[in-house]
Formats: sequence, structure tokens, C-alpha cells
Amino acid sequence: MRWGMVVDLRRCVGCQTCTIACKQAHALPAGTQWRFVADCEIGAYPDVRRVFLPMQCMHCAEPPCVGVCPTGASRRRADGIVWIEYGACVGCGYCAVACPYHARHFVDDGAGDFAEPTPAERATAQPARRGVMTKCTFCKERVDAGRLAGLVPGVDPDATPVCAVACIAGAIVFGDLDDPASRVRMLIDGTNVAPLAPEAGTEPSVYYVTAVAPPAGIGPRAPDSVESSRPDPVPRSSRSRAEHSFDRPALEDPALVWLRALGA
Amino acid sequence: MDTTRTDHRPDELIAATPQTLWGMPAVLNFALGGLGAGFYVAAVVAGALGARSAMSLAAWLAPALVLAGFAAVAAEAGRPLRGLRVLSAVATSWMSRELWLGGLFAVLALADETVPGRGLRLPATTAATALVLAQGALLTRARAIAAWSVPMMPVVFAASAAVSGVALLVLAELLAGQPPGHGVLATMLVVLGLGLLAWLAFLTASSDPAFRYPTAPLRAGATAIELIAVGYTAPAVLVALALAFPAWAPGPTALAAALAIAGQFRAKSALILTAGQRRAVTLATLTLPRRSP
Repeated sequence: MRWGMVVDLRRCVGCQTCTIACKQAHALPAGTQWRFVADCEIGAYPDVRRVFLPMQCMHCAEPPCVGVCPTGASRRRADGIVWIEYGACVGCGYCAVACPYHARHFVDDGAGDFAEPTPAERATAQPARRGVMTKCTFCKERVDAGRLAGLVPGVDPDATPVCAVACIAGAIVFGDLDDPASRVRMLIDGTNVAPLAPEAGTEPSVYYVTAVAPPAGIGPRAPDSVESSRPDPVPRSSRSRAEHSFDRPALEDPALVWLRALGA
Repeated sequence: MDTTRTDHRPDELIAATPQTLWGMPAVLNFALGGLGAGFYVAAVVAGALGARSAMSLAAWLAPALVLAGFAAVAAEAGRPLRGLRVLSAVATSWMSRELWLGGLFAVLALADETVPGRGLRLPATTAATALVLAQGALLTRARAIAAWSVPMMPVVFAASAAVSGVALLVLAELLAGQPPGHGVLATMLVVLGLGLLAWLAFLTASSDPAFRYPTAPLRAGATAIELIAVGYTAPAVLVALALAFPAWAPGPTALAAALAIAGQFRAKSALILTAGQRRAVTLATLTLPRRSP
């Protein structure tokens, strides 16, 4: 078993719901985000596209952060989840300069929005996380508790990382990379996926569906688009309602309708 | 200075950004560690070759410099009181190895001075050399920082330690009222030349844009002039003048030594603070369907 994730860049709309869901679920202090959605520009004029890139810990099979850790606080579980034992971390930051994915975050001792902690900050304060390195945990407590309750992570929302559950576009899929029947495995096998920065040689467990389609209504799909030439491996019956909403045809631009009417 | 990016990779989604976790305390650790270890090795070699030796000074000053570097970097850690835990991952982490080697060096050097004749000088010299190499290897493993993650970083650190160590030896002899002999000055000239070669080899170590961009300020502009002209060329010219005009030697020699030490501090500072940029995030197979005309 190896937990992993597939992020479909064709679906992400950059709404940051996953960012907020993660921040809220883990009670992250001010200035700390275990995940974020980068607003990127690719291509060269006039072929330029805007791409939203959800970023988080990649839970690598060869995590450079674990090997460099001088205290053994950074660890990798048998199921692939990379985590930090806060009680053993000295907050030296070596793991942060070893991680090519900007995934490690130092929680400053005085992190807070105001001089005095707010009631909400007091209520959610976690002293063990002060002065140490923190990162995405793939919601391991949630995954573990769900499995103990007989749920299937990636299928049952209560056993799935909150970012995947909260995503409004169904762009984040979680599951067992070693299970050929899991949605993540089917997406990896059936679509054009790639890990970030493969040159780093870390074998990430997070993959990205990379064919970026043109915005609806702008033009026809390119013939060389992988997305258009391959069947969608995920059975439509297994999709959530949020995903189905993306299957609707794009609405025609009202301005075009009005102009056409004028011409007629 | 090359500040305009002309080497963007087409698959680059998030640009390189400066690392902010390691600041001046880390610079002090690397600079003082190299200075202390280099000074000790230089003093041992000078003594073994029959030159007047600053061994009694090096025996306590060198460990003090190394330990001061550790103290500086401990102040940067989030939980410094857990510092001893850093010793626990010696099998995998170069930071653990650095602490072990620095501690071992300090103990051996002080023990050799306290109880001479126990044959501890050679192990102490070995530990000092290994400490410098470990500091370089520590940066090599920082895979997020392209400018650090090059195989020759231990060589750069060894060369830097040699330059600053010999310079401190020369300065110590001058301050003790014993102008260094021709042999020591000639050695300093050679070490400065080798140090410059190592630095230039580092700056051209890779053609990867991820390495070229953050190291660009070290190759051209004011920082490059500081590092090469002030840190290597000027000390070399001054030492050559001292060799040519022995009667006027102390002044130029002292200035050369001070510049060489300052140059190595500046080099470590530029390496950590200027070139210390996190790699850009890339996605190699990102396709861009063409828009209709």
C-alpha cells in the first residue's frame, strides 16, 4: 500500500478551497499553509495559458528531507506518508533546504496575527508545533481513523484528506497507488500524468494530469492534445456530483448571442 | 550585474525563490568552522615543516572558533534546547556528522594542548579536515538549493578553509611580533591561487539554468568583484609585494591576511544568502494546446 494523489490541472480553478480546508482542519497558525495553489503562467505570447498548480508535500518514495534530518524527526511510514515527529524536531530547517517542492514550513514561536493571541488562536494553539518544521501529513490521523472504522480512503470522504474532499472541482483524487482498482491508479495509467520536478529524483507520490485544455468557447481542442485522444479512465458512475457539473457544455457567451441576433 | 532572467525554462511553473531559513548564523557557522579548522591544520603543518608555529594559540583558538560557529547556528534553530538530538542521526545526516566531527576536533585539540605527547595532534588534524568536508557535503545534500547541491562543494569548503586558515596563521604570527618567513608567505600565495581556482571551478560547475541563475551575481558585478578582487587577487598582490620587499613586509602581509579572511566570510555569506535560492518548480510534460487563430 502506498498512499498517493492525482491533481487534475484541467479541473483546478484556483479557488483555494483546498488551502483553506487544510488550514482550518489542521488549525495552522498565521502565515503557515501546508498547501497552496500557485497561479502560474505558461507559454510565450501569443500562446499563453494560466495554470493553477496546487502544491503540497509530495510524500516522496525517496524523500530527501528524511535522509538529511539530523534528529530522525522526519520519517516515512510503510504506507508512504512522510511525517514529522514534532517532539524530536529541533527546527534546524535542513529538511526545508533539501525539499525541492517548497513543502516544509517553519512555525515561528511568535506566529500570530496580532500582538496577543486571538480567542481562536488560543483555542487552536498547538505548542508542540511551535519552533519546529511542519508539513502536509496527507491527513494521516483522518486516514488511519477511517481505516480503523472500515472506511476506504479515497472513496469514503471521512477517510480521505480534507483537501480532496473539499475540492469543488473534483481535481484532487486520493487513493492507494498500489491498488490497480483505485481511482488514482486508473488516472495515472490512463491519462497524461507527471510528477513535479522529476529531475530531483525523489519519486513523488503526487502526480499531475498535465494536458491543459484551452478555455471553453475559445477554440477547438488541439488534435495533439492527450486529453482529447485518450478515453477518461474514471467511470462516470463513480464521479461525485461536483465532477458531473463539469461535464455540462460551456454556456454560450451572451454577448455573442446578442451580436448574432443583431446580424440576423 | 546579471539580474535579468533570460534562462527561464519552458516548463517552469514557480520561479526560484530565496531560501529564508538559513541566515547569518548559518554563515557564521560555516565561516568560523572553516577558519578554525583551517587555522589548526595550517599551524600543525607549519610546525611540522619547522616554521615558527602558532600551535599554542591554535590549540585553543581553533576549537573556540568552531564551537562559536555551532553556538551561532544553534541560536537560529527553533528548539535549540533539543540540540543534543542532532547527534542521533550520524548514519544518514551530514548535519549530525558535522556536529560529531566538530565536537571530536575540539576535544582532541584541547586534550593535545592540555596533555601533550599523546599523539592526539594527528587525529585532531584529521577531524578538522573532515569537519570542513562535512560542512561542504551538508550543503551538497540540500537538493532544493541548486547552487549548493553540486558535488564539488566539499572541495570549495576545503579550499576556503585553507585560505582563511593560512591567513589567520600569518596574522597570528604578525601579532606575536614574528613576521612570517618566506616559506609561509609563498605557501599563502599558492593557497590563494588554488582557492581562486576552486572558486572559479565552482562558479562554472554546471550549465543547468537552475544553478546558473542564483550564482549569476557571484560571477559578475559588485559581489563578484568583492569576492575575487578583494578576497583573492588583492591579497595575492600584497603577499607578492611582501616577498619582493621583505623590509616592508609586515604591513602588506597583515593587510593581505585580513583581506583573505574577510573575503572568505564574504564568500560564505554570498553562497548562503545570495545564491541560496530554492529551485524553480517544473512540470516537464505540461502541454499547451494551440489556440485557434
